[in-house]
Amino acid sequence: MKKAGYVVLIIFILALLCKAYIRIDNPDIVNTAHKQIQQNESQFGEYPAQINVTENGTDFLQSQAPIGNFGGALIESTIGEGPKTFNPFNSKDNTSSIMSDIMYDGLLGTHPVTGQPIPKLAKDFSINGNDYIIHLRKGIKWSDGKPITADDVVFTWQNIIFDGFGNTSTRDSMYIDGELPTVKKIDDYTVKFTTPKPFAPFIRNLGTPIAPKHVFEPAVKKGKEYFDGFFSTNTPPEKFVTSGAFRLKEYVPAQRVVYERNPNYYVINKESKKLPYLDKLVYLIVGDVNNQVLKFEGGELDDISLQGANVSRFKEMEKHSDFTVYNLGPSTGTMFVTMNLNNRKDDKGNFYVNPIKQRWFADKNFRKAIDYSIDRKNIVFNIANGLGSPLFTAESLNSIYLNTDLKPYDRDVNKAEQLLKESGFYKDKKGKLFDKYGNPVEFDLYTNAGNTEREAIGVMVKQDLEDMGMKVNFKPIEFNTLVNKLVNTYDWDMVIMGLTGSPIEPNGGKNVWMSQGTLHMFNQRPAGYTKDDRFEWEKEMDKLYDAGALATDFETRKKYYDKYQEIAYEEKPFIYIYSPLIIEALRNKFKNVYPTMLGGLIHNIEEIYIESKK
Amino acid sequence: MQILKYILKRILQAIPLLIIVSMISFFIIRLSPVDPLAELRLNPSVSQETLAKETQRLGLDKPIIVQYAKWAKSFIKGDLGVTSNGEQVSTKLKERIPNTLLLTIIVIFLTWIVGIPLGIVAALHWKSPLDRFMTVLTSIGMAIPSFFFAVLLLIFAVKTGWFPVGGLTSSDFLEKSLGGQILDITHHLILPVTVLFTLSLAGLQRQMRANLLDVLDSDYIKFARAKGLSEFDVIYKHALRNAINPMITLLGFEFAGLLSGAALTEYVFQYPGLGRLILEAVMRSDINLVMASLMMGAIMLILGNLIADILLIITDPRIRRGNV
Repeated sequence: MKKAGYVVLIIFILALLCKAYIRIDNPDIVNTAHKQIQQNESQFGEYPAQINVTENGTDFLQSQAPIGNFGGALIESTIGEGPKTFNPFNSKDNTSSIMSDIMYDGLLGTHPVTGQPIPKLAKDFSINGNDYIIHLRKGIKWSDGKPITADDVVFTWQNIIFDGFGNTSTRDSMYIDGELPTVKKIDDYTVKFTTPKPFAPFIRNLGTPIAPKHVFEPAVKKGKEYFDGFFSTNTPPEKFVTSGAFRLKEYVPAQRVVYERNPNYYVINKESKKLPYLDKLVYLIVGDVNNQVLKFEGGELDDISLQGANVSRFKEMEKHSDFTVYNLGPSTGTMFVTMNLNNRKDDKGNFYVNPIKQRWFADKNFRKAIDYSIDRKNIVFNIANGLGSPLFTAESLNSIYLNTDLKPYDRDVNKAEQLLKESGFYKDKKGKLFDKYGNPVEFDLYTNAGNTEREAIGVMVKQDLEDMGMKVNFKPIEFNTLVNKLVNTYDWDMVIMGLTGSPIEPNGGKNVWMSQGTLHMFNQRPAGYTKDDRFEWEKEMDKLYDAGALATDFETRKKYYDKYQEIAYEEKPFIYIYSPLIIEALRNKFKNVYPTMLGGLIHNIEEIYIESKK
Repeated sequence: MQILKYILKRILQAIPLLIIVSMISFFIIRLSPVDPLAELRLNPSVSQETLAKETQRLGLDKPIIVQYAKWAKSFIKGDLGVTSNGEQVSTKLKERIPNTLLLTIIVIFLTWIVGIPLGIVAALHWKSPLDRFMTVLTSIGMAIPSFFFAVLLLIFAVKTGWFPVGGLTSSDFLEKSLGGQILDITHHLILPVTVLFTLSLAGLQRQMRANLLDVLDSDYIKFARAKGLSEFDVIYKHALRNAINPMITLLGFEFAGLLSGAALTEYVFQYPGLGRLILEAVMRSDINLVMASLMMGAIMLILGNLIADILLIITDPRIRRGNV
């Protein structure tokens, strides 16, 4: 009798557990949340672009958004350790870049809707072949009152960037046949850049922050080593002289970064008052997502980006709370499966990849069969709670270079089987897959352990492939070990990874797509590898990337980049899975919010204000 | 004089110990597959030249032995080196040590001031309802995992809105008056202190109770009672003095835990202490920072034990006569 009681109790508890999980898998809830969020998008007003105006001899940029109230603070957060430096030329990680870019504007910016270059510190610009003429705003000042002139620009470009101070990645990306562009001061408010050849991506480089010469020059004179520690997180905040909307007020390690308004910012509102409206911008440094969510719910944060199950939960809460959930469209992140096409030998004469597997991976039919076996919709539905878009292209879905002719398709097991058959693969009675030489198809699938999203994708991909009769050993391993395999030892079969790209400049992808790239992971060559063993389509890709960088007008470039996406779509070195949607929640008290896919939620931070309570 | 000699001897003994500890830690960290540059390698916008420069700057291009020798040399000179971000390790530690000390000292102070009397009370009223009640309470305290308790309290803070969700200061801390600042810090400290206090209180109370019960059961207490001494004298002059010895050893360990004991709680509460710093350092194999913290931990442990032993010599005449 007693035993029966226990059994009933256990069943009861199990039933409760199941009930708890049912909610997550319930399509209705997810779908309605998804739909509601999608509707939001149409509610965004159109962003009124800023225009140049000249008042009392000063060339301001004027906000066309409604006039707001001054004062208040917006509290954001950043996950992780916080910034490692406030020097925009030293930052190597995302958080540090965000934290320093708030304080320093570049000559040009990016239009939040169209993605075209727009003037920031520059009043206007003209491109004449290889020459880029930049006219600066007259009369605008650094936060300490000194004027911003051509000297600052030339100093920044010549003495910091071209001379290789700090993180040299910006400079390294600008080498064309071993030559760098040049910069020349024409007069106090005019600068001319000249590239050795027409080089389209250069215009985006003009978004690089400009440094105040009178502050940075002493540091540059002390040499590179000194510069590496210059404007680190230990620098007293009052030393920062900035051109951006804000300047540093306080940095408390592992807690927060506080910015205050730059009184000399060059953007004004329609009443000619200097922006930003907000007195303070605060970034709380939080350790993980859970803490971030708790802080938002506890009212300590004003803005949060949401993922997975939290989206539907926040959507529920939205009705009786003081925030709105925004859907900003697919992110620039891409999630993909890739196979190791490496057919080289290591120093000891052993193949990096087992030759049997090499034969499969090199076979386009095999790659396409895998592509057709993966059920993207199911993955998006189950892993991203429906909040993602299946992905088939190398450019992310919000890229202005996206090739829209490449159509998505559903999982097609029959087609996959047919492709495998064409290449001589066959199934035995038990449904196991063998290649034409009778080798069972079995390989390892890696991803980085700890990334729950990728681990979940791995399980589903494994399931999909095992339906095809392949044996997949799914092994989540430590991130560093995985990177080591990808870039150094090349001993892997298949991997699930993600990369982020730029939605406005595809040339950043050359590290991945050009055959000598440092992240050409599907066929990684060691640095300094000279033998030409490229596949035909890799050669084609190299040509397209070179041509794309050299062409200057958008239409011509688009053709090259369309073609490269087409090759990637056809050859499947990367089998793209999906892009997650960016979902953010922001408190309703903030006005002048014009979210865009390219700019994000608060791209116009200087125009955002807090509605006064009536 | 003798005691000075003893201290000197102990310090000399500690040196080979520290060398071994440092070597083992250094090699284990470097043998782990963590690549400090992994994040950079996977960032498409970071160039090959930058990577090479970083490798050189961090000394990763040299053999482990050379790396260790370089570290040891500067450590002996008192230079802790720079972190992988190029900041001074000592500055980094200095930022965090006061925060952690603030938390742990409050907790240790509270637990000892509450735990010892409670232990005595429980032992004196052995098997009474009061003792049983406290046993239940302390068992609960010992059984709850600290991170779980911390998470529960965080959720409590969110739901009620009575307490801030983690951290040490509010974002408008600078604008507050001195009194307001103290209040703000206190407000933030309540929850983490509650967690750590509950957990260590339970252990301490049990320990004190057991020690005192042990002593109360011994022959000399029976003798003292038989001699007709007052109960007060028996307990506070004879029993307690003997029961306190193991507690002093415990105090030595508490000293060692001053800087490292609260890592888990710190992490959950996003408390800007050493624990979080070091955890993050381990994750990206920031060798100088990790080594500094490990060495600090080892030195604190050795020091704690030394202090406990000296205290024992002072409180216990038997040790004074015998071993030194």
